Amino acid sequence: MSGTITTMPGPGRRPKARPRRELREVTLLVATIAVVCGVGLLRPSFMSFSNLEFMVLSAVVLGLVGISQTFVIMTRGIDLSVSAVLGLSAMVFGLLSTTDNMPVWQALPLCMALGAVLGCFNGFLVAWTKIPPIIATLGTYSLYGGLTFIYSNGLQVDQVSRNFANFGNADLIPGLPVPTPVIALLIVSLVAWFVLNHMKYGRSILAIGNNSSAAYNAGISVRRTLLGVYTISGALAAFAGLIFVAYTGSATATTGTGDHVELQSIAVALIGGTAIAGGRGNLAGTVVGSVFLSVVITALVFLQVPAIWYSAGEGLMILIAVTLGARRGAKS
Amino acid sequence: MESLQNSPRESAVQDAVSIATRLYAATGIDKRFGANRVLRNVSLKLAPGEVHTLMGENGAGKSTLFRILAGIHQPDAGQIMLDGRPLDLPNPGAAYEHGIYLVPQEPALLKELSVAENMFLGMLPTNGRFPARIDWKTIRTSAQDAISTLGLDVDVRDDAKHLSIAQQQLVECAKALLRGCRIILFDEPTSPLTSREVGILFGNMRRLREQGCTLGFISHRMDEVMEISDRVSVLRDGAVTDEVDRDGFDRARLVRAMVGRELIFDRKRAHRAPKGEPVLSVRGLAHDPVFSAVDFDVRPGEILGFSGLIGAGRTEIAEAVCGLRAKSAGTVTLSGKDITAASIRDIIAAGLVYVPEDRARHGVILPMSVRDNATAGQIGRLQRKTGLLNRQREVAIATDTLARYRVRARGIDQPVGQLSGGNQQKIVFGKWMSTSPKIAILDEPTRGVDVGAKDEIYKLIEELSAQGMAIIVISSELEELIALCDRVIAIYGGRIAAELHGADITAARVGAAFLGAGTH
Repeated sequence: MSGTITTMPGPGRRPKARPRRELREVTLLVATIAVVCGVGLLRPSFMSFSNLEFMVLSAVVLGLVGISQTFVIMTRGIDLSVSAVLGLSAMVFGLLSTTDNMPVWQALPLCMALGAVLGCFNGFLVAWTKIPPIIATLGTYSLYGGLTFIYSNGLQVDQVSRNFANFGNADLIPGLPVPTPVIALLIVSLVAWFVLNHMKYGRSILAIGNNSSAAYNAGISVRRTLLGVYTISGALAAFAGLIFVAYTGSATATTGTGDHVELQSIAVALIGGTAIAGGRGNLAGTVVGSVFLSVVITALVFLQVPAIWYSAGEGLMILIAVTLGARRGAKS
Repeated sequence: MESLQNSPRESAVQDAVSIATRLYAATGIDKRFGANRVLRNVSLKLAPGEVHTLMGENGAGKSTLFRILAGIHQPDAGQIMLDGRPLDLPNPGAAYEHGIYLVPQEPALLKELSVAENMFLGMLPTNGRFPARIDWKTIRTSAQDAISTLGLDVDVRDDAKHLSIAQQQLVECAKALLRGCRIILFDEPTSPLTSREVGILFGNMRRLREQGCTLGFISHRMDEVMEISDRVSVLRDGAVTDEVDRDGFDRARLVRAMVGRELIFDRKRAHRAPKGEPVLSVRGLAHDPVFSAVDFDVRPGEILGFSGLIGAGRTEIAEAVCGLRAKSAGTVTLSGKDITAASIRDIIAAGLVYVPEDRARHGVILPMSVRDNATAGQIGRLQRKTGLLNRQREVAIATDTLARYRVRARGIDQPVGQLSGGNQQKIVFGKWMSTSPKIAILDEPTRGVDVGAKDEIYKLIEELSAQGMAIIVISSELEELIALCDRVIAIYGGRIAAELHGADITAARVGAAFLGAGTH
């Protein structure tokens, strides 16, 4: 036996062919189109321009938070504070541009920087103290949500300037009927995809999610990577808050938290095929998943489900969708 | 050291690896974990072109020493020297830079990532320009090359979760080579491997040795140690008790150094053929494509062995018998009662227990105390009529388990995770045997258990059998089957390939049978 090398065959039970990747995003896209067509036939007003616009905008908001949530979940973490960051950023933006008359180009980077700082604090808690992410961000969810109340005195901000609202509605490129927020989501998605698949940073995120001590042993800086992921999560949540204000023209102290954006963002990531146990993510799935969720939630309204049922119905649907998604994921 | 500079093996080194062949030494290493002093004044010299083996019972400090040498732990005192120069290793990355790689006890591949990416973990090459794009093509081709050199037939684009443990270990070897590491430490790589896989691993280790690499090795298996080592150091309670080179190898001496007392080796069970009605009868058990046409009986007081390669279907058959896994055909009868479709709960109540292979996953709850673990199997019986637990009974059972199964623990409140592998296994035994089963199926009962504790576990198994319990032992170790069994069934490709009785149970016959020789 000395010196000779015998070949070791692959596992016996598995066929030689590599398993085909499940294209979750395609399945979701088909489901979304089916819901749109179905509800559109029953209730023609579902297909009105203003409703389509509403669904697209809420999908963009959800998609932005969903992408950052996907990155956090891939590290085997979770960020519950995204809705509070979104709300705080929306409120700060609203008040700066109405009360203080600050131009958008100043307020926008300021709010995103605020989101980044809040996210960075989450990252610090997760990476340096030994608090589990779910507890750390549940704490900051309450903290940041409370800051919104303090900052706004519990009041609502509305009648945000036209100039500002235009940011959400107008076309970026004249003549091309794609709203600016959709372009923003596309750019963020592409950058996220590139980072995840073609940059060391993205691979470090996946490595940490698979096994953080093995990643550390391989020389990956686990703490710095986590800090970055939560910081980006905060910045993107803040950006989503800006788009929300830009579209609705108003913000309240419960914007974001009241809509359970944190739950929705986790839901779109999981529906999209990201593993809650970390180490595996599907960004395209998250983006299509947020369109799907936004369409389905709106459909509830159009199918004349009584308003008092919305919250319960939404929660139930998210649970069903995530359960189905998780089961499909486990099989692959 | 001077003599090593002229070693003939070193002159044979001809490779492009930038890191030269190295003499790697540790002197006066001390290490504590909390109040526990794991290493005391340990010195070790690993020479190029040698396989240097560390032996010792579980908890002797072997893994800790390797982990210090690989920069994972930092010593409290002592010095690491590379080619005579002091070396500080604040983290594993620093060890890689000096060409030192530890193949961990449990391969730590990232399951959801491809084999290729795993191999380049922490050093993914990029094209250098901004934004630094990962060069996937180079990763794939170099990974595939490295894998092929080791004789591993795996597509590096596959996810690592599809690999067997043996394959994962070779991937770890390939990782070391890719990093240009010339000092490779193997922390007990063979314990989950079958003998054929061990052969492949050893083939690779010999080749690395011939190329002048410095190799460290940890194993519990005496035969393996004798086969592969050039030098052996023995650790006991964190101190080196003996060091011998190839000429000085002597089983009795090594064992004495390890355990501080003599052990009987080359045990062989006296031939017995228990009579009486079978307690367990399995007929035509099948679940395509994993196993099929499985027929066997076990009688009271009999010890039946299941031999075979990992993946041959041994564990799967056992799980199907115990109701833990689906089956498509066949019947299972326990003391005349058909339990083919019974629930796990009813099967345990009827007197059949299965002690699984992976203790940490299925057997014991590591952070919980000896007491909680020992009584976990009979929590129902501990309940008073009020629904509250009878704590006195619990203490009595746990104390009894410690005494009867000779568990070395500080007391019944010590967390099981702090015990050695052998003592954990005894707790698992105690837990299941306290339900007084008629038959027990033990899957790899001594995996990761050191020599001294192994012997005690064998004695326990024999005692249980003498009391009339039927026992099925699933094992990859020929020595174990020979030492224990009245009868051995060899399983190959999901079928019973051979059945051996009494005097026929020899290493050659059992080994040939489970490698599929004599089938067709």
